[in-house]
Amino acid sequence: MLTRRLIACLDVKGGRVVKGVRFESLRDVGDPVELAVRYEHQGADEIVFLDISATLEERETLLEVARRTAERLFIPLTIGGGIRGADEVARALRAGADKVSINTAAVERPEVLSESAARFGSQCVVASIDARRENGGWRVHTHGGKEPTDLEAVAWARECVRRGAGEILLTSIDRDGGRSGYDLDLTRAVAEAVDVPVIASGGAGTAEHMSEALRRGGADAVLVAGILHDGMTTVTALKRRLAEAGIPMRLA
Amino acid sequence: MKATIFDYGAGNLHSLAKALSGAEVGIEPDPLRAIDTDLLVLPGVGAFAAAAASLAPGRKQMRAALDSGLPCVGICLGMQLLFDASEEGPGEGLGILPGQVTKLRARRIPQIGWNTLEEASDPLFERAPLPIAYFANGYACRPEEPGCVTAWSTHEGDRFPAAVRRGSVLGVQFHPEKSSSAGVRFLGAFLEEVARCS
Repeated sequence: MLTRRLIACLDVKGGRVVKGVRFESLRDVGDPVELAVRYEHQGADEIVFLDISATLEERETLLEVARRTAERLFIPLTIGGGIRGADEVARALRAGADKVSINTAAVERPEVLSESAARFGSQCVVASIDARRENGGWRVHTHGGKEPTDLEAVAWARECVRRGAGEILLTSIDRDGGRSGYDLDLTRAVAEAVDVPVIASGGAGTAEHMSEALRRGGADAVLVAGILHDGMTTVTALKRRLAEAGIPMRLA
Repeated sequence: MKATIFDYGAGNLHSLAKALSGAEVGIEPDPLRAIDTDLLVLPGVGAFAAAAASLAPGRKQMRAALDSGLPCVGICLGMQLLFDASEEGPGEGLGILPGQVTKLRARRIPQIGWNTLEEASDPLFERAPLPIAYFANGYACRPEEPGCVTAWSTHEGDRFPAAVRRGSVLGVQFHPEKSSSAGVRFLGAFLEEVARCS
């Protein structure tokens, strides 16, 4: 039986892991390679590095971090942030990523999803969607949540899958960093609309939040960041709680 | 012992190379040169058609090498290449194992995540237990002779081979190099087997 996944997410800037609230007020929380390996040992099912830097120099730094990580990490690694085209996907995969998440570039030029899927397979193309609640729906935002688009999140998720995305990483901007739980309505609306796995993101505070996202939200995986980096809890403890709640989990 | 990864795509080979570090690891994009080795590794990232096209110039020779006993491990797409052909795209596989590769019969496709292994009978699983492993596949192998299957997995209602074996040729639908320390040990156990038999 396929288990549900707990994915540890590391926002990386200038080669360091940082954490912000609602995509802002960043602080340093550690070295990406060390944290990734620690989370693997705790039983994380996957690791995501999101490059939240703005410059090309820093992007090179992230690829270097990916290379060092891939030497020591034996669970899947996804890299996202600033990926513009299929050639950049190739570079990220070459550097040591197993999957690449694409956000702003897909909104600006959706063909990037189909081109990447044709070359590398849908299983390594993750469409990352940042959405904010608005008038009973959810509006897609780009550029790290700063720029509103004309896209509605559920329809956009469907379009991403139609174009070849093999997974949706769905972040609620409203909930990001708030630790008050995932946006379950958003998660469920997207999970029901697409046939690929949906990763719920934004708002993880407790194991109960994760359990709700997996059960009521219909997510296949939950993304966790801040509460791990702060040492408030561990992957091991969270997964044990989820297993006790009857959710199929891999226990390391 | 020399292990050669046949590089037919643009995927991440770092973790795989590292997981094979018991051997001297080479990466080779030429299918004819790739078979000049003690262990051929068919890695697991990419699309079937692109991989079959890279394989085509050396397909017959690679098939002959495996038929005459060259040890081989095919991972995910690499396992699928051991079969005749795939619904995913045009091109010929190696045909070491008779059968087709078809789309998973499930709602959630691709299957991405950790799935349990059932009825694991390959002796490797005794030496290196692997009750659960990481998969990332939209397609699965359908052997004509189910006798070659040495472990099964189930996604939604579809039961598919997680591992197959013919002599010294091993195919795994999961990614041992992404299945944490237990997966790396499983790969290590196969390396030991190859070293012992050579």
